Amino acid sequence: MSVKWVTSQFLKKKFYSKVNVPKAKRIYQMKKEFHLIIIISLFALTLSHQTAFAREESDTAAQISPSLSLNYWCNSNDSATLTARIFFNRDKDMICLKNAVISFSATDGNKIVPLGVAVADSTGNAVLTCSTASLPAKEGMITYNADFTGAGKYLPATGSFSAKPAKLEVSFYEQDSVRYIKVTGTVKDAKGNPVPFADQGIKLYVPSLFRPLPIGEITLDKDGAGNMEFPKTLVGDSLGNITVMAEIEENDVYGNVVASNSIPWAISKHAIQAERPSRELWTPVAPIWMIITLIIMLMGVWAHYVYAVVQLVKIKKSSKKDPYAIK
Amino acid sequence: MKKKSENKSTSSRRQFLKKSLMTGASMLATGGLIEAYLDTSAAESGEKVKVLTTDGTIMEVDQAHLLLPRVSRAESKKGLPGKKFVMVIDLSRCKNARACVEACQKGHNLPKSMEFMKVYLLQDGEKEAAYWFPKPCFHCDNPLCVSVCPVGATYKRSDGIVLIDNERCIGCKFCITGCPYSTRVFAWKHYPEFDIDKQPYSPEASSPGVEGTVSKCDFCPDLVRVGKLPYCAQACPMGVIFFGDMDEDVVTNGAETFQLSQLLRDRAGYRYLETLGTRPSVYYLPPVDRQFPVDRGFGDLDESVKDRYKETPYVKKNKP
Amino acid sequence: METPYNQSDLLKEFSPHLERTSVLQMIWIVFLLGVIGLGGFALYTQISKGHIVTGMRDNVVWGIYIVNFIFFMGVSYAGALISGSLHLFRAEWRKPIIRIAEFITIIALLIGPCYILLCIGRLDRLPYLVLFGRIQSPITWDVIAISTDIFGCIIFLYLALLRDIAQIRDFKEISLPKWKKKMYSFLALGYTGTPEQQKRLQNATDIMAAMVISIAIIVYSVLAWIFSVTLQPGWHSTIFGPYFVIAAVFSGCGIMIITMWLFRKIYHLEHYITRRHFVNVGVLMLVLAALFGYFTFSDYLTKWYGSEKNDELLIQLLFKKYYWLFIISNYVGVLLPMIVVGIPKFRTINNITFSAIVVVLALWINRYLIVVPTLESPYLPIQDSRPEWLFYNATWVEWSLTAAGVAVFALLMTLASKFIPVVNVSEMGDKPVPEEEIL
Repeated sequence: MSVKWVTSQFLKKKFYSKVNVPKAKRIYQMKKEFHLIIIISLFALTLSHQTAFAREESDTAAQISPSLSLNYWCNSNDSATLTARIFFNRDKDMICLKNAVISFSATDGNKIVPLGVAVADSTGNAVLTCSTASLPAKEGMITYNADFTGAGKYLPATGSFSAKPAKLEVSFYEQDSVRYIKVTGTVKDAKGNPVPFADQGIKLYVPSLFRPLPIGEITLDKDGAGNMEFPKTLVGDSLGNITVMAEIEENDVYGNVVASNSIPWAISKHAIQAERPSRELWTPVAPIWMIITLIIMLMGVWAHYVYAVVQLVKIKKSSKKDPYAIK
Repeated sequence: MKKKSENKSTSSRRQFLKKSLMTGASMLATGGLIEAYLDTSAAESGEKVKVLTTDGTIMEVDQAHLLLPRVSRAESKKGLPGKKFVMVIDLSRCKNARACVEACQKGHNLPKSMEFMKVYLLQDGEKEAAYWFPKPCFHCDNPLCVSVCPVGATYKRSDGIVLIDNERCIGCKFCITGCPYSTRVFAWKHYPEFDIDKQPYSPEASSPGVEGTVSKCDFCPDLVRVGKLPYCAQACPMGVIFFGDMDEDVVTNGAETFQLSQLLRDRAGYRYLETLGTRPSVYYLPPVDRQFPVDRGFGDLDESVKDRYKETPYVKKNKP
Repeated sequence: METPYNQSDLLKEFSPHLERTSVLQMIWIVFLLGVIGLGGFALYTQISKGHIVTGMRDNVVWGIYIVNFIFFMGVSYAGALISGSLHLFRAEWRKPIIRIAEFITIIALLIGPCYILLCIGRLDRLPYLVLFGRIQSPITWDVIAISTDIFGCIIFLYLALLRDIAQIRDFKEISLPKWKKKMYSFLALGYTGTPEQQKRLQNATDIMAAMVISIAIIVYSVLAWIFSVTLQPGWHSTIFGPYFVIAAVFSGCGIMIITMWLFRKIYHLEHYITRRHFVNVGVLMLVLAALFGYFTFSDYLTKWYGSEKNDELLIQLLFKKYYWLFIISNYVGVLLPMIVVGIPKFRTINNITFSAIVVVLALWINRYLIVVPTLESPYLPIQDSRPEWLFYNATWVEWSLTAAGVAVFALLMTLASKFIPVVNVSEMGDKPVPEEEIL
């Protein structure tokens, strides 16, 4: 962590001392230096942290170097979700580090903006959502970092992800009584103006209990728009609402981009399964005809028993009355 | 991890750097980024969790047990609202890896002699194809086992799952004879594995086991409550076992997700011994276009497990 | 028509048995207690170590405990047949043997359900059968039916005994300890034989006799339905209800003959229980053997001819692994009584008793062949490497408890004969009913 800070400081000094150089040259120099810094940081990271490249490790080592992987999703409301997963390997098991404190930051190479801190849960994931509006970007590219400062015998670890923000939008329309899903994508150009996100493959999903169900793939045309027919067989909630999610997966520049929207076009969930029966052989309460039959049969039999016992009782009673009874 | 086609505006150097930075970090990332985004609790069973306390001491607890809340017996009679669970098993992929059997035994703290998920080597007729047949409980919609229980220890919930309450079961074993699929098993003695689990008993967990009572596959409602797939579905290396909610018409094996109706229609899903009228909730996809030959199923097996199949017509004829 | 016996003469003859126990009988009782003790040890082993000490495993979950249960329940039908139905027909010849029949009924009814208890995994939860009983379950039907049956048979036995007890109470020439005298006079309910009392007793006995017969049929059908409502290939047979009832009465006859022979020998009842009784009950046995053979044949013929896959598997199992048991049970057990009783030359008391012993054995084996082979050939083949999980082999625990059950039966019969005269003293002294008045 400290090496990085030093390099960023170094970067700052270098940067601000070049105010009189022409802009193009400055940019070129910045580019070169930026690359140099990255290489140096990389080298430093490799040497000092032994992280993000090698798998762990031995059980018996006193100190353990966990790995930290950072994943990034760009949402449609100018925010980004960062998930840092911290873990290490022992034998064949992947062991997560619960309660590890991960701090997130965004940088453009010079400025570092801290985004917040999250604690890893029992799956080793620390999740943070931040706004992308005012983050430092280098030609639109924001680098997100996640740092684990280390604790006890666990050495520090970092992870990083660089991406430009992009925006997707999911909408629905009906044309000639056919229903469609429409996805439009926009990115920002060098000046920061929105331009269509052209020639990009989009995957569409609907959420379900365990994993999202893929419903199709579309490609955005040169205007950054694409559509597909809304599948008629989808099941939504009890009112027929369904959420459609659009995703760009692992784009080299823009990372992962997601967007979603709901519409009540799906089949209502409980239109499919009828009400479950309440009086069957296997229900807690028996069918009525069974109860009645049993009662009739039992009463029939026990009525006779009662009659016999009554006779016996009367015999006993009559013996008491009998003056000749021998006791 | 699928790599997109190269984006023209990116310099190759930048790509290299990014790649190298992320290589080690994302080596073990679960496939499919959107899954992790939507379901941050997706985790393998059997994973250990190191709980890092503030004073630097470590506590290691099994992932599954740490996460799973247990509901009371009264609560376990009510099903998860608005759901009806169904399982689809793809016979064309099964190669008797038995990861499902072992994961289930581990997850429910069972001894080796009690198997909730059993794998059979079936061959319906002499000239018909032999296939490996994993068989969980079918959670029938007309469960004979529930009908014959004299004390109501086993019951069918609104979400279709048939559970056994081992605090009510008297061990008469009528349900074992009532099940035509030989699904239920009996705890013939107090096995040492029953002592592993220290949490209070819950019918949804079917653990800890109780001597003298009946138990069976329960579709892991304790896992489903926290959004995880059952142990068998998580463990299968071939993705044979699909699980999902019939009402929302989606099943998944963790990696692939399909619409149930479409899957059954396209792959001709069927239910085993349909004519018995039990209306099972487990569908099978016929062993067409097998990924592996049947013999692969004998590969790494223990001798004692291999011996199980030695009287089957297939083994007697082919002697693999 | 026979002249009625003099009741005081009868009592004089039987009172020694009520008064004291001979040395031989003491030894016999001690021997039985020893067998029961062994059974008690086996029970303790089973409770402390779990059911793993039995031969039952996950496929054959019902073994000889259930076989014994069905068997003893069937044996109890001796009473239903002989004292119940013959009472209604007012058959004179049955009088000396009614008491034996009633003893068998009650004692077997008390022992039979104990075998279910042995098969239950959690005995401490037995009250749940009543507290949480589900009436859709055949076992609940069985619990209701058996308790009704026991109650009915106790009432019936008591009604039949009442007059004998009153006779003993009144008999001055018998020397009994004081506690016994008190017991008899309490149980006699002050019965003195007034016309009104006689009429009441007669009515009650008639009603209960009819009830006992119908209850017997219902109870055993319910027991049969426990098997036939399941989907197991060998059990899911429509014939099971009547089949079990016939088999039960058949085994009741067999036990009846054996007990008659034993009591006749021990208490020197040659005068009362004559060859005629053996032949009459033997004829009943013959008829029932024919019916039993017919039902068995019908069941297996349909299974074999239709050759449905699982039926075929079952029949193969029966004819390969259980070949000799099948022959003894369904051929020898059917043909032997028919030959012995049917051919006049063979119709001797000892022969008939020997065939009754074979019949009883054959019926036990028949129950075994109904319960166990079906469970060994389920729809999904048993693929297991452990031999005790593939085929059922009863262990010493189960055999000891079977022997203990038989010992309890013998012990209770012995003790009963010490309290009540084995021959129905009071009815023997009755005037025979004119033959026109059956009802």
